[in-house]
Amino acid sequence: MKSRYVVVSAALVALLSACGVIRGDDEGSKGAQAAGVTSEPCPAAVDKNKGCIYLGTVSDLTAGPFAALAVPITDAQKAFWARVNKAGGIGGTYEVDVTKFVRDNKYNPEVHRQVYNEMKDQVLGLAQTLGSPTTAAILGDLKANSVVAAPASWTSAWEFEDVILETGANYCVEAMNSVDYAMETYKPKSVMAVHLAGDYGADAAAGAKIAAERNGLTFTSVETPSGATEQGRAITEITKNKPDLVILTTGPADAATIVGQAAAAGFKGRFIGTGPTWNPALLKSPAAPALKALYEQSAPGKPWDSDTPGHQAMREALPGVTPNDGYTSGWAWAYPMKAALEKMVASGDVSRKGLLAAVKSLQTVDYEGMLPPEAGNFAGDPNAATFRQTLVNKLDDKAPTGVTTVKDFFVGPTAQGHTFDGPCYAKL
Amino acid sequence: MKALLETVIRGLGNGSVYALLALGFVIIYKATRVISFAQPALMLAGAVAVSYLAEVTGFYAAVLLAGLLIAGVALAVERVAIRPMVGRPVFVVAIITLGVDIVVRVVVNAFIGRDVRQVGDPWGFDQVALGPLVVQQRWLAMLAVTAVLVALLFAFFRYTRYGLAMRAAAFDQETALAQGVSVGMVFALSWGLAGFLAAVAGTFVGTGQGIEQGTWVIALKALPAIIVGGLDSLGGAVAGGLVVGVVESLFQSYQGEYAPWLGQNFAVVTPYVVMLVVLLVRPYGLFGTREVERV
Repeated sequence: MKSRYVVVSAALVALLSACGVIRGDDEGSKGAQAAGVTSEPCPAAVDKNKGCIYLGTVSDLTAGPFAALAVPITDAQKAFWARVNKAGGIGGTYEVDVTKFVRDNKYNPEVHRQVYNEMKDQVLGLAQTLGSPTTAAILGDLKANSVVAAPASWTSAWEFEDVILETGANYCVEAMNSVDYAMETYKPKSVMAVHLAGDYGADAAAGAKIAAERNGLTFTSVETPSGATEQGRAITEITKNKPDLVILTTGPADAATIVGQAAAAGFKGRFIGTGPTWNPALLKSPAAPALKALYEQSAPGKPWDSDTPGHQAMREALPGVTPNDGYTSGWAWAYPMKAALEKMVASGDVSRKGLLAAVKSLQTVDYEGMLPPEAGNFAGDPNAATFRQTLVNKLDDKAPTGVTTVKDFFVGPTAQGHTFDGPCYAKL
Repeated sequence: MKALLETVIRGLGNGSVYALLALGFVIIYKATRVISFAQPALMLAGAVAVSYLAEVTGFYAAVLLAGLLIAGVALAVERVAIRPMVGRPVFVVAIITLGVDIVVRVVVNAFIGRDVRQVGDPWGFDQVALGPLVVQQRWLAMLAVTAVLVALLFAFFRYTRYGLAMRAAAFDQETALAQGVSVGMVFALSWGLAGFLAAVAGTFVGTGQGIEQGTWVIALKALPAIIVGGLDSLGGAVAGGLVVGVVESLFQSYQGEYAPWLGQNFAVVTPYVVMLVVLLVRPYGLFGTREVERV
């Protein structure tokens, strides 16, 4: 009889514990330990007297199309937070760990959701969630549990999500500015958007369409599959229609094939590719002469060798690496999370809800010159807070990442006047 | 008309790569009755080997050396992973080749890294005039190399002792064994040949555009090619590859204009549509052996 009571009591304790009643998952209650925050030091703590905030990373680390960017992004963020910890951590009471919960999403939404579910109870937020469709797969959970996440993508959809801590202008704005830049520089009469499907390619294509309409240009859109050997149709459409300007939103190998073959077939129009379309290895490809002659890169931030305190700190924190603007993006993406964590700790509410509240009150972020402070506005409504400045790079053999800035941060008239009332890709 | 012919030549160029890959599948199938799903990995491995070797030996020697190297890898795979499975159901062996594909690709990916690697080919996107037609040199190189390799292969099967042994084993393994043919040698030779062909095909996939970790996917287009041509026909593999390449190229160029209702990028699925159509009309492929069913 006694043993029955023991079993029932144990089951009750286990049940209550599983439900979070005993464990203290109620983040609202004072003194409770928030998910992903411990009073014990981080595994690689600089100061053993500080507590630890764990941030997760779900990125494309091996087999996906953006692994060439994702690995440097992740390494840069590890270096960024190591620097933060070395400089005293967050509010003098916590250090940040971004090394314990790093998982590979293989750029697959289902895998992304699975690895996020495995870590979600053990992290306060996500230092990185790479990709738009992958992040969309966990967005519902992020919102339901107030989990703040820094994306490694620039879709305009993030302007409308409180839990997403985006940095830099979205693809839609980038393409608008590219068309406006081309209007100023090359006076095109027709624009073609050659893009991958989904909210990477389609977001940029929608921006190009909006800018083309505003500038009175003929616009056509060609959706192309991923893969260098699959670009036959895109090349045919370009060489047949001969647009003056092509806005490219593809992977790097796709871009090299399209530009190289179109140029070989006599195409002489201009190409401007969004940030992820470029990879410095393309300067060694047979397409290099065509790329140098016809291609420019639009970008949401300055390249690796730029002269700002943020870039300087990044280069010092990553000695000996092969320069890659994946590092630059990863480093820049971490500043808003740092600002939000500092504000959260200062408010005394160290919890997911406290972090979300801190994010919603951020009006500027100190990017140490990598981006203007107003890029860190998360307080206003989406239309007011959307950052609209991008820049344009030209190819340069001598530059560490193969590009140098030809037009610094600017807002074109299209992006300046555009009202953001929903994700751009929905309007393509 | 000029544009149409140029499109067909582009399709024949790509199709000859599919043909080389399809030949590898068919050679292994004829010898062992197994479809080797390791071909994509061997193709990628060959292209990667060329990308490294070409920096040292130049492109042409690199292709030959890489072909021999990958033939060696294929022989080793056959000896270690496939030969012990003789006598087991072909389904089991096919699954093992899937595992081999993954293992080889993981190793090869480490050599590719995360950038696009160049195979160091001399053609790039250079073009040449064929009368009124302007075509890329690499399409012509693909066609010419495929033609030479196919001719050599057919001569090998027709006129050499080993070729005869392979034909005998493909016809009836037990009878061949009884006649003193080493079936083990036939298995090994089929894998070695398929490895060599895969390496050459991978090199041509990389010409102009380079190779990356995802390039292996293109090898899957050889599957519709072998079904179209007939699973056990070498000539069918060549024809199937060329048909798939030309149809794909025509759809890439003209579907948007003449059949926009099919949606964007229908060309991606055309190899499989062709396969389905052929399966409906001739289930054993255009040149495959018609199976006799005894009731």
